[in-house]
Amino acid sequence: MNLLRMIALVVIVLGLTVMVGAQAPGPDDNTLVVAQTVDTDGWEPSEVNSRPEANIFNHMFATLYEITVSGVLEPYLASGISYSEDGKEITFTLHEGLTCHDGEPLTAEDVAYTFNRAGDDANGFTGNTAGFVFDSAGFIRAEAVSELDVTIFVERFQSVNHGLLSEVFIHCKDSYEMMSLEEAAQNPVGSGPYAFVEWVPDSHTVMEKYDGFNLREVGFDRIVWRVVPEASTRVAELIAGNVDIISNVVPDQAAAVNGSGVAEMQAVQGTRRMYVGFNQRAQYDDTEGGRAIKDTDVRVALQYAVDVPTICATLLGTECERMKSMVNPPNDNPNLAPYPYDPVKAGELLDAAGYPADENGERFHIVFQAGSGRYLNDANVVQAISQYLTDVGVIVDLQMMDWSSEFVPALRQHNVGPLYFVGTGGGTWNAQYDMADISTPTGATNYTEWSNPEWFSLRETLADPGLTAEETQDIVNAMLEVMYNDPPWLFLYFQPDFYGVSNRVDWNARRDEKIIVYGAALAM
Amino acid sequence: MAKYLIRRILQSFFVIIGVTLLSFITLHIAGDPTYLFVSERASEEEFARTRARLGFDRPLPEQYLSFLIGLSRGDFGNSLKSRTPAFDLVVDRLPATLELTLFAMLVATLFAVPIGIVSAMNRGTAVDGGAMLLAMLGQSIPSFWLGLMGILFVGLTLRWLPISGHVPLLKPLLAGEFELFFTNLPSGIRHLVMPSLTVGVFSLSRNARLVRSAMLEVLSLDYIKTARAKGLRERKVIVGHAFRNALIPVVTILGLEFGFLLSGVVVTETVFSWPGVGRQVFNAINQRDIPVVQSAVVLFSFMFVLLNLIVDLLYAVLDPRVRLE
Repeated sequence: MNLLRMIALVVIVLGLTVMVGAQAPGPDDNTLVVAQTVDTDGWEPSEVNSRPEANIFNHMFATLYEITVSGVLEPYLASGISYSEDGKEITFTLHEGLTCHDGEPLTAEDVAYTFNRAGDDANGFTGNTAGFVFDSAGFIRAEAVSELDVTIFVERFQSVNHGLLSEVFIHCKDSYEMMSLEEAAQNPVGSGPYAFVEWVPDSHTVMEKYDGFNLREVGFDRIVWRVVPEASTRVAELIAGNVDIISNVVPDQAAAVNGSGVAEMQAVQGTRRMYVGFNQRAQYDDTEGGRAIKDTDVRVALQYAVDVPTICATLLGTECERMKSMVNPPNDNPNLAPYPYDPVKAGELLDAAGYPADENGERFHIVFQAGSGRYLNDANVVQAISQYLTDVGVIVDLQMMDWSSEFVPALRQHNVGPLYFVGTGGGTWNAQYDMADISTPTGATNYTEWSNPEWFSLRETLADPGLTAEETQDIVNAMLEVMYNDPPWLFLYFQPDFYGVSNRVDWNARRDEKIIVYGAALAM
Repeated sequence: MAKYLIRRILQSFFVIIGVTLLSFITLHIAGDPTYLFVSERASEEEFARTRARLGFDRPLPEQYLSFLIGLSRGDFGNSLKSRTPAFDLVVDRLPATLELTLFAMLVATLFAVPIGIVSAMNRGTAVDGGAMLLAMLGQSIPSFWLGLMGILFVGLTLRWLPISGHVPLLKPLLAGEFELFFTNLPSGIRHLVMPSLTVGVFSLSRNARLVRSAMLEVLSLDYIKTARAKGLRERKVIVGHAFRNALIPVVTILGLEFGFLLSGVVVTETVFSWPGVGRQVFNAINQRDIPVVQSAVVLFSFMFVLLNLIVDLLYAVLDPRVRLE
């Protein structure tokens, strides 16, 4: 009966372990625990690819300027900025007495090194800095002109360059020059308020307050970033008091969070713009739907066909304001009003556009493609949109695709559609940042290949560095009006974001998907 | 025996190569992975440059051949995402997954055997019916649901066990850090209980039913009647004579069990935030980090093949009639 004895022993050991080991207490007063869905792939500051990664990096690596909650660019490592006359040379002046986490002084030379290293093709970086910021800003090179002044050379003036270049995570030359790319991917040496302590991949990252950093007051000495991919598990950890802030809460768990008495749900209107694109490429001309959406009147008519507020209330779990343009408030055109839901008017406009309903109530057939699992409740949202369109006689063939293997490659080649559903990240700090999606008729992110000449001609005028803020806003308003009347997108909503926040912590969620917690503190 | 071993090792070699070829084709069949490695604003030149840097511009047979050449040198390449050696990344995560699967196998086997034996000995009674009903339930409940219910009741309501997370046991043990191992042991086991039960409950149920049916078959054989007729005590008949022969199908299933559990850990690792290979491979597939996927495929195939070879060798130990030739 050795076997039975062994089994009894295992049961006793397990039982004792369970009984003795009630759950460990939650985090102490000096520690803040944040749970996100995914981890960083590594620690290369020039290779940050996702928002959860950037959230972690933002606390270890400082930037030249910082975007505040209200969408204002505020000096951070830099104390000021100046432009050359043509706007193609941007000089940042650093604060004195900065240091990196290796103890070395942080000077203009380090900033120039950071930019040039990220832009060096030999390093093959494809993250946000090299892949997005430098492309968008037209980065050429950086040069230290004095100990505290660094000049960034760009191909063209744009008012967004200041903010774009402020997304680059600054790091010190001495440490990074000594490391190979492989070593740098494992050994972060930061420049921000918190220093790296420990990383257990796909489990957690620990960082501690860096005493040599004086540009920001921090509320907690230690931050633990946990990776909890499953939404229900994140909520359970929050309610159990093991984590303080969780992201991506599923709306239907709001009641559980709010009813727990230990945490509250925070819902914010995010900056991600969700829309249905009308792909204008000639390859769809041989389909009746492809031909139909080339007609501006049809695209306007379809704006009235979809009840966006109801989609938000029923499928996204929150009220939301319908987008009236591609720009996030408050930088959008205040004179425009969101298209209302009016299926009768949609039908009348379609009749007038030459697409009357036949005896079956059908006007034309169209393919609608969408990736699944990328956005909040996306599969249900696209089904609802399909039904709304069908209700006005536009018969939709909805095709759900795998996000990464099917949809993204097709989207990047502008081969989705003629209708497609997608969301694009935006900002609160500059209208032109949001408008950069449509920079040229065949630009990489102009997936519709919409080519309204008035839009692009107005866009050219924005490249004048002598424009005042009011003049710039007037041009932006004119562009958004052009887009409103000749829409390349079926405007939907700004995707709401949901966070769970423990009552022990005083922290407010931002609209731009960033989790910045150095301002967080214990609740009074 | 030596001949048998050589033949099996050769077979195993071709199995592993075949598996890598299949996974390679599957990963590429879905289209050019370069799109996942460039920003959405990348120019055509940037796209081409990245494609060349990642080696995706070469013909597929050439890419696969380079992989095989690397494999022969033990070089799986660097992860396309983290730029560190892919095989090291997988090996680093392996102990966490092994803890989970081994503990699940232990639970599944240790509990399944007595349940199966008791059921068989009480065939047709309420004990048998109850045990088999539970076994059916265990096979029917989806593991993610069971995991979430465990979190809700055991973790959140009763607060008996941690809701999620992992405390390493195997890693410090393998590294010779015994002090850390013993420090981690109580907490490590507490973190293991719910995930491993979630992973193992299907196997436990299946094994219990398997042991029961194997026992019933053996108990009806003549030599058991003879043993009883000779006046042997029932305990001796069951454990000494019947159980040993009933073990053969169980041992067979154990070899396959490991592969089944490894493939099943992805969901459990996700639900319990367990930093194992399952989640790593799932993420790598989504990101098309091909070197990481291939490293895991080779490692898993090797382990699976090795374990089944051990199982085959065990046959000869359990049943002297079996000759390995």
